[in-house]
Amino acid sequence: MWFYIKLAWRNIFRNKRRTIITSIAIGIGLASLIFTAALMEGMINNMIQSATSSFLGQAQVHGGDFRETQDVEKTVNNLGQVTAELKQDPLVTNYTLRTLSMGMIASPANLNAALLVGVEPGNERFLSKIADTLQKGSFFDGANPRDMVIGSKLAEDLEVSPGDRVVATVSQAKTGDLAQEMFRISGIYQFGIKEMDSGMAFIRLKKAQQMLGIGDRVHQIAIKFKDLKTADMPGISFWKKYSRFDNEAVPWTILLPQMKAVLGMVDISLLIMAVILGCVVVFGIINSLFMSLYERMFEFAIMRAVGTRPAGLRKLIVLEAGALAVISIILGSALGMILTLIFAHSGIDYRGIEFAGTTFHELIYPVMNKWHYVVFPVGVLFFTMLVAIYPAWVAGRLRIATALRKSL
Amino acid sequence: MEKQTPIIVTENVKKTYEDNGVEVRAVRGVDLTISAGEFTAIVGPSGSGKTTFLNIISGLDTLTSGRVVLNGKPLSDIKGSELSDFRRDHIGFIFQAYNLIPVLTVEENVEYIMLLQGVPKAERHKRVMEILADVGLREYAQRLPAKLSGGQQQRVAVARAMVSNPDLILADEPTANLDSKTGSELLDMMKELNEKKGMTFLFSTHDEMIMKRARRVITLKDGIVAADVLKK
Repeated sequence: MWFYIKLAWRNIFRNKRRTIITSIAIGIGLASLIFTAALMEGMINNMIQSATSSFLGQAQVHGGDFRETQDVEKTVNNLGQVTAELKQDPLVTNYTLRTLSMGMIASPANLNAALLVGVEPGNERFLSKIADTLQKGSFFDGANPRDMVIGSKLAEDLEVSPGDRVVATVSQAKTGDLAQEMFRISGIYQFGIKEMDSGMAFIRLKKAQQMLGIGDRVHQIAIKFKDLKTADMPGISFWKKYSRFDNEAVPWTILLPQMKAVLGMVDISLLIMAVILGCVVVFGIINSLFMSLYERMFEFAIMRAVGTRPAGLRKLIVLEAGALAVISIILGSALGMILTLIFAHSGIDYRGIEFAGTTFHELIYPVMNKWHYVVFPVGVLFFTMLVAIYPAWVAGRLRIATALRKSL
Repeated sequence: MEKQTPIIVTENVKKTYEDNGVEVRAVRGVDLTISAGEFTAIVGPSGSGKTTFLNIISGLDTLTSGRVVLNGKPLSDIKGSELSDFRRDHIGFIFQAYNLIPVLTVEENVEYIMLLQGVPKAERHKRVMEILADVGLREYAQRLPAKLSGGQQQRVAVARAMVSNPDLILADEPTANLDSKTGSELLDMMKELNEKKGMTFLFSTHDEMIMKRARRVITLKDGIVAADVLKK
């Protein structure tokens, strides 16, 4: 085998120009694949970060079937024990409590339906980016219990600015009686996500609990993990632990199924791209190998004449393809790494662009993932050697006398 | 010197093939016996069937009808990879040009057959150096074929053909691409090796230098044996 490896390695340098051109072609394909995968991973991270850090959190705990019914009576059960455990949990870095109820907000000029969210301003800063996206005013500075922060589109519809007054109406738990309170617009945010900018308003948790008549209870605990990947580990005990007391602990992957679907789509896109590039690589290699094969028919005939078995020739062709792949992999990996490093440093600016319901708020940084430098090169090597089977088969069927007669 | 043990026996060998839609009857019934130690030339004009006959008796080509027995074994009994192994172990080949694998050194080219045979490295090296000394190319062992003259390349081909001590060496127009002086030197060397080592040489040629040196000259004409002359 070693002899054939040596022979194959030397053979591919017989026509240096062809080898270099073919290797560059395959290498560019591999580099594109590595860079695209790095970019996709960066984009996915960015999307997940955007989606989860905007408001959602990386996981949430709700009471019973609150998610399905949005019934304001369905609050988190055993809240004290749950929050005590979250405080001690090594996986959790922050959490915050929220109430959620649909309501009406009326200004002197207009009336709009909105999701009225009761928040703890101090903790909310760790879980959401509302405070960071303020366009006007402030995010619950001071201690005024009647502060309200609303989205820019909602403010536009209601024709209000910071300092203006609005009236919020909600339906109380149990009785269903209407509760009305007056608020002062203290801040206006703009996320870039239509639903949030036009349909959400934030008030202090205490005031919301009081309006809804739910005492100290809440509808949602939003959680941030130390490691984002924790949310994508359905097997860990965390989910069971916080789903006790008829509560439900769910990761963002369930809360945002459309995002999960988008990520699946990204994977499929990458696969399609890999297949297309794979085809380019395959035909490049087959072309190169056949050119080399037809040029060396006489030499192969001599090798066969002196006793090389057909399997020996086949082995040689496959190894030549493998040697070509190795050079291409070195070139492609280096090129892919350089591209990834450059853009991982400078970032790619898609800020402000909304994709799959998520707006990119930060630069996208391609991710240097060591598996990209293992999986794709191994794939290139494997497929290169796989496609070499055809020319190798042709070489193995060589008719020695015909090749000797026609080649001279 | 010549032994009477038959190395090759052919019985009514015929070969017909198609070339661009035209049926070519290259060999039309050849009965021959080549004995061990012979230095024999098969001669004849172009298209007389010399090369085809050589290809058939070496198993490089199939025959249409008839029988070839090489070293007591009918070639028709040997199939597939066994035929490759049989050629490797029993026949040495010298072609008219481009005999060598260009990316291998002289030493590697000569040892190639032994490598296929699984001869240990030390033994291979010893035998390669011996045979290279015999053909006068010991100091060229590490050179690539492209760095050798045409005559030197043919000497390497002779060394490769002989290194594994085959029963028969088939040489198809070995001097065709050489000038007469180089060709003559090559033939003298082959003749000397034939006499010294008792190896059987069978040439296909229309080179008079070979005919002059051959002890037996078989003339093929239109695919049949027109003359078979054993010199005294």
